[in-house]
Amino acid sequence: MIEVNNLTKIYGKKDTAFNALKDITLNIEDKSTVSIIGKSGSGKSTLMHIMSGLDEPSSGTVLIDGVDIFKMKEKKIDAFRASEMSFVFQSFFVEGNATCYQNVLLPLEIAKVGITKRKKMVMEALKAVDLEDKVSAKASTLSGGQKQRLAVARAIVNKPAIIFADEPTGNLDSTNGDKIMDLLFGLNKSIGCTLIIVTHDPDIAKQTSMRVSIKDGKIENIEKGRK
Amino acid sequence: MLFIDIVKRSLRNLLTSKARTILTALAIAVGTFALTLTLGASNGAKEYANNIVRSNFDPTELIVSKDPNLFSRQDATKPQVYNPSFGSISTFGGETRQVQYLNTADIAKIATTKGVSSVQPAITVSLQYITRDGQKKYIGTLAPYNSYQKPELLAGSIPEKIQDNTLILPQGFLSALGFSSAKSAIGQNIRLSVQNQTSLNSITTNPLAALNSSDNKSQESVFKVIAVSATASTSISAATSLYLYTNINQVESLNNYIYSGTSSYQKYLTAYAKVTDGTNLTKLNTAQSLIKGEGYSVQSVVDTEKLITQFISVIEGIVTLFGLIAIIASLFGVVNTMYISVLQRTREIGLMKALGMHRKDISRLFKIEAGLIGLLGGIIGSALAVGIGTALNPAISNKLSLGNSNLLIFKASQILILIVVLALIAIFAGLLPARKAAKLDPIEALRTE
Repeated sequence: MIEVNNLTKIYGKKDTAFNALKDITLNIEDKSTVSIIGKSGSGKSTLMHIMSGLDEPSSGTVLIDGVDIFKMKEKKIDAFRASEMSFVFQSFFVEGNATCYQNVLLPLEIAKVGITKRKKMVMEALKAVDLEDKVSAKASTLSGGQKQRLAVARAIVNKPAIIFADEPTGNLDSTNGDKIMDLLFGLNKSIGCTLIIVTHDPDIAKQTSMRVSIKDGKIENIEKGRK
Repeated sequence: MLFIDIVKRSLRNLLTSKARTILTALAIAVGTFALTLTLGASNGAKEYANNIVRSNFDPTELIVSKDPNLFSRQDATKPQVYNPSFGSISTFGGETRQVQYLNTADIAKIATTKGVSSVQPAITVSLQYITRDGQKKYIGTLAPYNSYQKPELLAGSIPEKIQDNTLILPQGFLSALGFSSAKSAIGQNIRLSVQNQTSLNSITTNPLAALNSSDNKSQESVFKVIAVSATASTSISAATSLYLYTNINQVESLNNYIYSGTSSYQKYLTAYAKVTDGTNLTKLNTAQSLIKGEGYSVQSVVDTEKLITQFISVIEGIVTLFGLIAIIASLFGVVNTMYISVLQRTREIGLMKALGMHRKDISRLFKIEAGLIGLLGGIIGSALAVGIGTALNPAISNKLSLGNSNLLIFKASQILILIVVLALIAIFAGLLPARKAAKLDPIEALRTE
């Protein structure tokens, strides 16, 4: 369970200070699907960055399974992210010069997974996103949809507890976007991970079990249950 | 991240930017090339110098002089104060100097030093002429043969003890004395003549009178050729390659004849003190100290080698400095390349950080990349130097008349150390870019376009 308590984030100081998040409190159940929705600049990405430990709050706490992640030492929080979290970004962030296999391998290398286990795990992840025939293909040769599927494979390879997806369909056409969302929701069920999606697409939000609307850094509304 | 994974990833990154990697490595290779050649030339020069010393001096002998300044450097720009007690004047290296000579009493005294087995005055006999029937007369030098010399022989053999009136003829005299081959000279007689110095005194005052005088005392002896020695590339000078060798007793006898009746009779500039078990450096040093304690100047072969190699080391140091300057300049290239790499891979760094890669591992990734560039530069530079050097070695050695010696001697251990040091220096050059990469904010990095 993720517990966000009185989270505030202020960028800059004094006259230039900008309050990006204002007293955010919310609880996310394990294995749930959550959408964080809002306009550009509303603070939804900032909230995701803080919940994942990539950024630090000005005040407030984030507890994952009862552990305050900001009380962890830097090395421990890195290791926690490597084993328990993964990310899917709008811009894919795949390494074009590396093969699909090498791209998916990265989280396993970072998490220091044993060399003998790696191949099986990578192949399973590629199979899950229907890219097993592209194992040796360079990522640069893939289409946009394939690149995002590759990014999803990379996100699920170490079977994380939480997947953060920041506008995962933002750079895709609707057909590929739908495929990716089907894939992510399917993985939520098949591997039992918590899926947190940052989006401004109401159609995607509708499919999640919890919708957090943010406006000007404040929670405007929390809806539960699929529409 | 495991170290092996970091190395693999670094290699892949370097291969992604092949041209940039190779160009940066080539800049390092230039310095490495110069340094490898310098090391090779220095090794070759030192070995050649040591060969010369070892071939011309017995390592178990000490060179002893009575003159305290013979083995030390004197300021040749200042006049030397006359000392009436020295009583003799000698030309040395082209300059006029007053030196103290050893006499027979000194020789006997040195011989009693603990650890010294024998003492032999350092003498060579200036022959009036050398000839054989029907041939021209040539001037020459007769020197005592020492068994450590082991010259390369073209014909004949050298017995344990060289008999009286037998000699080793140098190759350079073969055709001059009318021998068709080295083999044909063996067993043949040649005549050596020496002239007493008292008769020469009149030459310096009245040459014409001396030439017409019947008082010119000279002695001609017949020697049988027992061996012909090849011209050695390790001769101290071209002149020594024409030395004839016989046993010490005969050289001393002829030398006494030359100087009898003169102030130089049985007076010697230096003497060789043979040390019992002199290959043992401790024993050699002990004997050296004891002789020094008796008021003599002493130099060992090790000292001579040190003197020569010290000079070579100075030259080596200067050339090495230029090589190092080239390497330092190339390291700025490594810094630049790594900074560009960090900038180009900002988003990749952001992703790796987001996925939980620790900043120490990020830093290590870039440091290893820099180290691999250094390693590549080192390998390219040293391989080129060894390849080109080895190919040119025979031609250079021939041009410099080094005989069987090589000017460039490459030692694998030295090259290995050089490459490793270069890799470490390159890692050092990569510290700042690696630090920049490690400190990147992952969110900012992921936002980078």
